[in-house]
Amino acid sequence: MALPFSYHWRNLLVRKTTTGLNILVVAAVVGVFCWLIGFAGALHSSLATASDSRKLIVLKSGATSESNSAIRTDEYNKLNQIAEVERLPGSGAPLISPEMIVQVQLPRVRDQGTTRANVGVRGVTETALQVHRNIKVLGRSFAPGAQEVIAGVSAAKQFGGLEIGETIHLGYASDRPYRIVGYFSAAGGPLESEIWGYLPSLMNAYNRAMYSSASMLLQPGAAAEPVITQINGPAIQLKAQTEAQYWSEQAKNIRIYLNITYVLVAIMSLAAIFSIANTMFSSVAGRTREIAMLRTIGFSGVQILTGFLLEAVMLSLLGAVMGCLGCAAWLATVGRTKDMFGATTFTSLAFEIQLTPMIILAALGCVALVGAVGALFPAWRAARVQVVTALREA
Amino acid sequence: MTITYVLMQNLRRNRLRTALTAIAFALPMAVFVSAISFVAMFVRIAQANEKELRLGVHHRTTLTNYLPDGLRRKIEGLDPQRTRLSAVCGMRWFGGRVPETPNALTSLAADADTFPIVYSELDLTPEDTALWQRDKRAAIVGMGPAETYHWKVGQRVVLESTVPPYLSLDFNIIKISDNEMRTNFFYFRRDYLEDSLKEVNADGARCNIFWIKCQSAEAMRSLQEEIDRMTANTPDETKTEDENAFVANFTQALGDIPGLMQVMAAVVVFIIALVAGNTMMMSFRERTRELAVFKAIGFQAPRVFSIIMAESVMLATIGSLLGVVPTATFLLFFPITMFRFGPISRIEVSPLAVVVSLTIALLVGLLAGVWPAYQAMRLRTVDALRRVA
Repeated sequence: MALPFSYHWRNLLVRKTTTGLNILVVAAVVGVFCWLIGFAGALHSSLATASDSRKLIVLKSGATSESNSAIRTDEYNKLNQIAEVERLPGSGAPLISPEMIVQVQLPRVRDQGTTRANVGVRGVTETALQVHRNIKVLGRSFAPGAQEVIAGVSAAKQFGGLEIGETIHLGYASDRPYRIVGYFSAAGGPLESEIWGYLPSLMNAYNRAMYSSASMLLQPGAAAEPVITQINGPAIQLKAQTEAQYWSEQAKNIRIYLNITYVLVAIMSLAAIFSIANTMFSSVAGRTREIAMLRTIGFSGVQILTGFLLEAVMLSLLGAVMGCLGCAAWLATVGRTKDMFGATTFTSLAFEIQLTPMIILAALGCVALVGAVGALFPAWRAARVQVVTALREA
Repeated sequence: MTITYVLMQNLRRNRLRTALTAIAFALPMAVFVSAISFVAMFVRIAQANEKELRLGVHHRTTLTNYLPDGLRRKIEGLDPQRTRLSAVCGMRWFGGRVPETPNALTSLAADADTFPIVYSELDLTPEDTALWQRDKRAAIVGMGPAETYHWKVGQRVVLESTVPPYLSLDFNIIKISDNEMRTNFFYFRRDYLEDSLKEVNADGARCNIFWIKCQSAEAMRSLQEEIDRMTANTPDETKTEDENAFVANFTQALGDIPGLMQVMAAVVVFIIALVAGNTMMMSFRERTRELAVFKAIGFQAPRVFSIIMAESVMLATIGSLLGVVPTATFLLFFPITMFRFGPISRIEVSPLAVVVSLTIALLVGLLAGVWPAYQAMRLRTVDALRRVA
């Protein structure tokens, strides 16, 4: 028979202050941990959802992103020779979407407009909705003839002036009023941070004669590699990438920051291990006689070892719960919205940090491990208490 | 028996605890000193930028829109007597990358004549300036790219532009600047870029930004207003801001890492305070009897108070030294250089950060000792002796 659960529970309660302080240490570490994982996770999932394996993004060779790419119409037309492109049923028009991307500076909602973000504005044609299959227009789309745009849901939430019915000023000199007539979602992908309008109208507003990029949808089952080779080759001389490749390239710089913050969290978790070990050692030292008693009445060393481990894990889990609550409170009050530049896009990717059940589970798991590791040596010592000596001495 | 002896004995009595506390204290302290160094570097750069009194003028819509070349004359025309501004330097983004590498360098083409005045902090010697004026392909490079690509002064390098029309140009490196504020930059002459663009029939002379060196803070404010007023209601409306406001746009856009580091530092202080407090409480609890004996044999309450306080401070000092010294030494010899964040090319521990860290540790030690020390002071000798025994 194992030691009763209430024995450990009460042991924690008896040493209120020490237990409380340790719980707070764990809570602080877990709070930071949850935030960082949430941050990384949100960024990652936003980029990962942008990976339609049938979709290719074509840039000018030499360009590193859509923002610094410029494709002439005659270059664009060469893409029509690719046989693997999916065609529109009926008309048989190839599903290649010419696009132009420019930026507009909009105030950030999270700091009441003190700073401004570069928001991508994409000029598209009707084909875009067929090529970008995860786009869902919520409400009405822009009418080709009118000065109208639709805003991605993330952009609408994080940047000012994008409510339906509001007007933003676009164009090279920011002098063309465009009305927001609807929203669109992109299954959480990076396109949700953009504003979309009718390509000819926007090209005119920005005095542009060239496209930035082209997106194309391949036929189901068509391999991307040969098409990419064909596009990069002498006949077309543009640069094609799958959507996943393109976005993982854009997020490269962000990953370095994440790695550094991971190191910092790892160091702090180590500190938590030492702090827990410290407390458990002292707890064992203070209870030597009690442990000897337990041994005398028949509990085995293993039972005592597990008992102490259990105590530490319990303490850590309490801390973890507090840390998660703290993190949730922080996100709710300070804000969960973030935006970040891609490496070269020069446009902001807006995302929201969410405390998902997965993150909470990961935090609880890691923390239980931290508690167990911290308590291992003290518990080992407890299990090896010399019964007779301990009873006599104390 | 001196007080130091008592303190040392106390710390030595439970070596395991002293060691564990010191390590639990040292690890977060290492994080703290790095985070604070990072923040301190930003503060220092912001202060240095402020001192340079530079205004940036770019297109109101976005930085990627070009402004006409001629705006420079118009800005200079606002102050023909040169009582408010010293020089105007137009710059155009080149976005060059070393062939076969993915990332574009912060490479800018700058007006050859005014560049040495506007960026006086680069400490160009008269010889450097002469070389820069004479050699059309001259380039001045910060430490960051020079270290990454092992460039030397006098070397010829080729960069491929990542913006249309994707020119590939070769440069002669005439100076590698160790100026901390300009560490990730690559500057070259704009006339070289414009001439090369003309050769491929690309469109004419334009700039992304004009940097104006001002003579006083008042001049800066008045010029800022005048320039934006001058361009209002033209196709090329401008936004004029000082260098720190300009940099802040990017810092925010890159995820506000300095802000993140500040929060991190605050959390760390919280953690070490708890760790130290915990240890002092435990050690007080176990020594109640001993302290009672101290009081019984005539130690005054303030003395007992200071013994506990001194022990706490000493523990905190040891812990923080263990965290700060190795981190500082490590970063001194192996600075993290792969980290190119805005103006920062390497993370080094600044003396200021060390001082701040040690002060914080000292405060935490005092704070952690207060409650146990107060209790020890108020300890009723008779009760304590009776209770524990």
